[in-house]
Amino acid sequence: MAGSSEGSSAKKAKPLARSFACPACGGTVTIRYPGAALSCVCEFCQTVIDATDTNYRVIEKYFSKTKHFEPFVPLGTRGKLKGKDWEMVGYMVRADDVSGYFWDEYLLFNPYYGYRWLTCNGDHWSFVTTIKQKPQARTHSQSTSWYKVKMELEGRDFKLFYRGRAKVLFVLGEFYWKVKADSLVNMEDYICPPYMLSSESDGKEIVWSISEYLEVDDVAAAFKPAKKLKKPSKVAPNQPSSAAVSWQYMSKLWLASFVILTLLQVWQLGYNNNKQVLESSPVYTANAKNAPTYTTAVFNIERDKTGALLEFSTSVDNSWLYVSGEMVNDDTGETFPFAQTIEYYHGYDGGESWSEGGTSNNVFLSAVPKGKYYLNIDTESGDFKDTNPHVLNVIVKQSPPLYGNYFWCLFLLSLLPGISAWSNTCFESSRWFESDYNPYASTG
Amino acid sequence: MIKLSCPSCGAEVEFRSKASVFSVCSFCHSTLVRHDMNLEQLGQMSELQDDLTPLQIGTKGVFDGKPFELIGRLKVGYEDGTWNEWYALSGDKEGWLAEAQGFYAFCYPVAGVQAPDINRMVPRAPVYIDQVGQMQVEDARNVHCLFSEGELPFNAVLGRKSFSVDLTGSNLAMATVEYAADETRIFAGRYQDFDDFQFQNLREIDGW
Repeated sequence: MAGSSEGSSAKKAKPLARSFACPACGGTVTIRYPGAALSCVCEFCQTVIDATDTNYRVIEKYFSKTKHFEPFVPLGTRGKLKGKDWEMVGYMVRADDVSGYFWDEYLLFNPYYGYRWLTCNGDHWSFVTTIKQKPQARTHSQSTSWYKVKMELEGRDFKLFYRGRAKVLFVLGEFYWKVKADSLVNMEDYICPPYMLSSESDGKEIVWSISEYLEVDDVAAAFKPAKKLKKPSKVAPNQPSSAAVSWQYMSKLWLASFVILTLLQVWQLGYNNNKQVLESSPVYTANAKNAPTYTTAVFNIERDKTGALLEFSTSVDNSWLYVSGEMVNDDTGETFPFAQTIEYYHGYDGGESWSEGGTSNNVFLSAVPKGKYYLNIDTESGDFKDTNPHVLNVIVKQSPPLYGNYFWCLFLLSLLPGISAWSNTCFESSRWFESDYNPYASTG
Repeated sequence: MIKLSCPSCGAEVEFRSKASVFSVCSFCHSTLVRHDMNLEQLGQMSELQDDLTPLQIGTKGVFDGKPFELIGRLKVGYEDGTWNEWYALSGDKEGWLAEAQGFYAFCYPVAGVQAPDINRMVPRAPVYIDQVGQMQVEDARNVHCLFSEGELPFNAVLGRKSFSVDLTGSNLAMATVEYAADETRIFAGRYQDFDDFQFQNLREIDGW
């Protein structure tokens, strides 16, 4: 602990607290940290008293007429936050000048580390530290869009969330400045969850502070309030989002796998040479009874376990041709059966010409072992009156480039990131819902 | 180090910094001014009420890797509060540790630099100071000496008045310009977190 004193010359610590009678109501007022406190508030009549000299001059009587608020634990309670002990010495309720929306601010003190604030806004808690750094404005000078107003501090970008004026509704305890009731301060909040950067200015000075979001349970564990703290129901401006975290990881993972998958696809397209190994043009007679099975010449599949693409085309016209058969390994007799229909219809109806299907179709056979092959082909025609001979063009290509696998993988891979992106957008739009600078609001 | 005797009570009065010309006798609280090897008594320093600081004369710390020790203090008051300026000895160099509301900054005197025009020193005004750089005025206040102890490089008698301007720059840089009746002094340094000073021999604070 920083308070432990070495050295033999250390004087014994003097008790700090000092009490006096309230100049307004006569009640006993105790200053816990005289020397640090500049003003203190009588707990009985809410009169603000000058704590700097023993005349105990009244600074402000206004608060005695206002509504009474209660701190969530008695002032003087100590709690450990961010690894250090803090004593709650002051309590303030402040409100937006226009909307009247109010929130609680607790002044924390540690004689070694100075002051911090614990704020409670809509049941959300934050730990606030005044900073000496000056954030840099990142406003785009060309754009008048308000949601482009950003502040940069230590590598983080903060977006404007709130701009307004705050007034003090209620005070209790002791403060390191002279509390005035009528003073309005200009406030700006910029967010980068779990942080919020805030400025307060009274026209003379600008004070910057940084708030860090606290979980309700951490506040309860630190100060042990008698009454259970309420869980927040809405999203706070600086509330960390698990959706944002998962989207952050997910989007990176998605991008990485997209790149890998695409590189694999590019490699695959280059590797599969799409070599034509057979071209044959058998003649068939449509609807011929007992038409013989046509057998092609033998062709060579040079790569092992590769794909083979059988392309059939013929001159069907408002009709179909059913092509079936098998690809047979000349050495082992292993067969790869196939069946495919070529159909083509077209016409002119109600002033519009239409067409459906086409005069060609193909069959893909996968994982074909290398070797010598031939095709056995049977046909069946849908044009029952046609007895003319027709040419069926047959082309076999080994190792055709593949696309389907790539797009299917991409689709499946995008499912979870898609859900993640969507839930992130939902969370962020509820975060920004009450902001005047909502980037998710539709602009009129 | 110069050792002299208090002309009032005879106790030994030490001057550890060559620049020190003022001291408060730790026994009889006489305010003493040093004329070379002679001490002249100016008056008495009254005891300080409500002095809440974790620092004391003899507190040791580290800034920029260099150890220092606090050897004197000036406590000043202004309209809305007080702060402490601790006179520090770092090796044979003199420095200052400014302490206000839990903020700590260590700074060194800047010599041979023209101080900016006092009329330009208004809050938020940008100010350029040679050897210090581009700064912004944080606040500018009339201050007076509330209390002093130990040794100091100027006559820090009670009520001594000056106009004190605090400036901040980027990366926690800070500077102070003090316009006093007899001289204008410039100090430049940096804010640092309490823990980073690695303080030793701090004052005991009741209940902490």
